[in-house]
Amino acid sequence: MSVDDQPGLYVESTIIMTTVRVVAPFVLTFALFIMFHGADSPGGGFQGGVIAGSVVMMLAFAYGIESTRQWLDVRVVVALAAGGVLTFASIGLGTIVLGGQFLQYTEYEVFLSHASKYGIELVELGIGGIVASVAIGLFFLLAAGFGHVVDEEGEA
Amino acid sequence: MTLTLLEGALLLFVLGCALGAALLRDTLASVMSFAAYSLGVSILWLILQAPDVGLTEAAVGAGIMTILLLVALANTVTPNADRLLESINPRTLVLVGGFVLVMGATVPALPAIGDPTAPVVGGEVTQYYLDNAYKQTDVKNAVTAVLAAYRGFDTLGEAVVVFAAGVAALSVLRREVFA
Repeated sequence: MSVDDQPGLYVESTIIMTTVRVVAPFVLTFALFIMFHGADSPGGGFQGGVIAGSVVMMLAFAYGIESTRQWLDVRVVVALAAGGVLTFASIGLGTIVLGGQFLQYTEYEVFLSHASKYGIELVELGIGGIVASVAIGLFFLLAAGFGHVVDEEGEA
Repeated sequence: MTLTLLEGALLLFVLGCALGAALLRDTLASVMSFAAYSLGVSILWLILQAPDVGLTEAAVGAGIMTILLLVALANTVTPNADRLLESINPRTLVLVGGFVLVMGATVPALPAIGDPTAPVVGGEVTQYYLDNAYKQTDVKNAVTAVLAAYRGFDTLGEAVVVFAAGVAALSVLRREVFA
């Protein structure tokens, strides 16, 4: 039995589907705005990531959790989470390689003017990736239920 | 201390929702009460001029947490609530009441909101960030400057904690993919 067949989890509704189809692009844009613009206004990676994650949850409520999961591909979710951590850590460690201290963005100034600003933006994007993908992942995990645990032989 | 009408109403709303979340016997009602509480608190943060915290509270507390709790509820069996409120254990009441009293006793020691003589306003650290954040980090939001530059190592730790939460959830539920 797939997740969407369970009673109470998914109800197909034209109103919800239409609303989500209209609203989702704007919410995703707002999430990216919060992430990118966090340097100059309230917001940042944590908040923007959560809002980006909620877009996927909206889609799941409208079109079904199982079909959203198949459409999104869980490998993308894992890649976002791991990529976020790697981005943040490598930006931080890169400055040490260049002879500065951890996350001393000014070390990148030789390659790029306003390196500090762009470095912080990249770090925020990395954080956003981690937060969004973990939120999405937890949602899919909880939605899949706790009943059918994979046993030692790897069979569901 | 004087409260505006809006602040007073919000405080009452938040307090009511918190009590509802703790005392309502029906889990769905409790979750909704918790979401309303988070929304109220996020508006309070905004009034206290902490928009970064307010945004986080609204997105995480009122948004994602509610969805995750609802999905978890949908996957569990909830017994029908036979009465409206949870019965209160007297010992718990004494313990929680004592805790609230002790915490409440520290409130008068806090400086008033916006007090220019509050230690944090004229503090050396605060002043340093306000004076140098834009020059040194090129970002206008001092909160982001502290978060991603001055205290960047702590933030890396926070980000890894979120990552670890995802890994922990996978291993606790004995799954290999988020499915």
